[in-house]
Amino acid sequence: MSSTQVAPLLSISGLTKRFGVVTALWNVDLSILPGDFVAIFGPNGAGKSTLLQLVAQLSKPSEGSIEFPEAADSGREEVGYVSHMSLLYNDLTGFENLVFFARLYGIEKPVERANELLEKMNLKQARNQFAGSYSSGMKQRLKIARAMLHEPRLLLLDEPYAGLDQHGSRLLTGLLKQLREEQRTVLLITHNLGEGLDLSSRIVIMNRGQVVYRAARDDVDETGFESLYFRTVEG
Amino acid sequence: MNALRLIGILAAKDLRIEYRSRHAFLTTLFFALLILIIFNFAFDPGNQSIKDAAPGILWVSLLFPGVIQLNRSFQSEREEGTLYGLILAPIDRGVLFFGKFLANFFLLALVDLFVLGSFFIFYNLTFSTRLGWLFLLMLLVGIVFSSVGTLFAAMVSSVRARDVLLPILLFPILVPVVIAAVNATREVLGTGELEFFWQWLRLLVASDVVFIAGSFLVFDYVVEE
Repeated sequence: MSSTQVAPLLSISGLTKRFGVVTALWNVDLSILPGDFVAIFGPNGAGKSTLLQLVAQLSKPSEGSIEFPEAADSGREEVGYVSHMSLLYNDLTGFENLVFFARLYGIEKPVERANELLEKMNLKQARNQFAGSYSSGMKQRLKIARAMLHEPRLLLLDEPYAGLDQHGSRLLTGLLKQLREEQRTVLLITHNLGEGLDLSSRIVIMNRGQVVYRAARDDVDETGFESLYFRTVEG
Repeated sequence: MNALRLIGILAAKDLRIEYRSRHAFLTTLFFALLILIIFNFAFDPGNQSIKDAAPGILWVSLLFPGVIQLNRSFQSEREEGTLYGLILAPIDRGVLFFGKFLANFFLLALVDLFVLGSFFIFYNLTFSTRLGWLFLLMLLVGIVFSSVGTLFAAMVSSVRARDVLLPILLFPILVPVVIAAVNATREVLGTGELEFFWQWLRLLVASDVVFIAGSFLVFDYVVEE
């Protein structure tokens, strides 16, 4: 490796995942560099969520490997995961949820960390409300706060725009832009082509369990992206 | 971080959630008391047959409703996917098991206390120093029930027919423990010497060790995928 090359944060090689006779992912190779903001597009059933679950180590690959070259252990602590489900306890307040998970991660000052993230996510007013009573947008921001508790080096966001109204989407976009400015490494799955394109530094399109297109954001023509996407997934 | 502290954090979270809703606790307790009342009316009061059946009635009223508590114990994890959140945290799966086990054991022991008091009133039994032995039996059986129950509840938590499946899986495993508990209870409720009580007690202690170790070892595989 030359001295100018940056070591990847995440290196995926030959990744295959089968559920019985169904192959959800087939021979996926992907390398994520520190500071990358990668948007993953693809139709339903393309294997995007399966990919993120494998990276989060919630599931084991059938073949291939997922490596965090600079991680001391398996890399589980490198990852913050925001899934379709909230991963939050509805009967605990937003604050209690964050403090509980902060304690599990062994964070030194869980109360201070929870307050800091609630402030950052603009949820301080709703601190003592039960998570079950949060609106979709508030819950989405609390989900991201939970995933960021332990300052993960890689943030995995699985369709964070799902179920959000326009106001919620705008707030979320602001938050994601903030993450990009902080040079956080993010893997974002979204069906929202415009938002994904606007936020990302690299683009990946998946279809039928495979990566069918990848490019740097700067190499993609914004006006022609939608037709490129449909050509790629339908072709 | 200290594993015991983490177990405490996990159990405290479950107990806090249960304290706020009280769904599982109240339903379990109500069902247990209902069983005691039904059997109380089914038998002729003062008849010897009710005294013979009392140990069995007590354990039926403790174990069958306990399944409600176990089934509810993974409800939050199932509904909002928080089990993923727990698995993602850098903690040993054994810590997760013992956290759930401890919360289940505490809630079931609380139900046991209420049931025991009601049992003595409904069945007109006299309070004596032997009551302590009976509560000890309840705790020992509670350990087996909570450990195997926590394991199976985790196993069936993502299955649609979990409410039916849990008792079908759980009770066959518990048969030797229930036999030991009923026989030991018969001696405690009787007026004679505790002749075989200590043997049954030893069997229950051995069961506690075996079942808790087995459940702890298998739990890792259960939550793996």
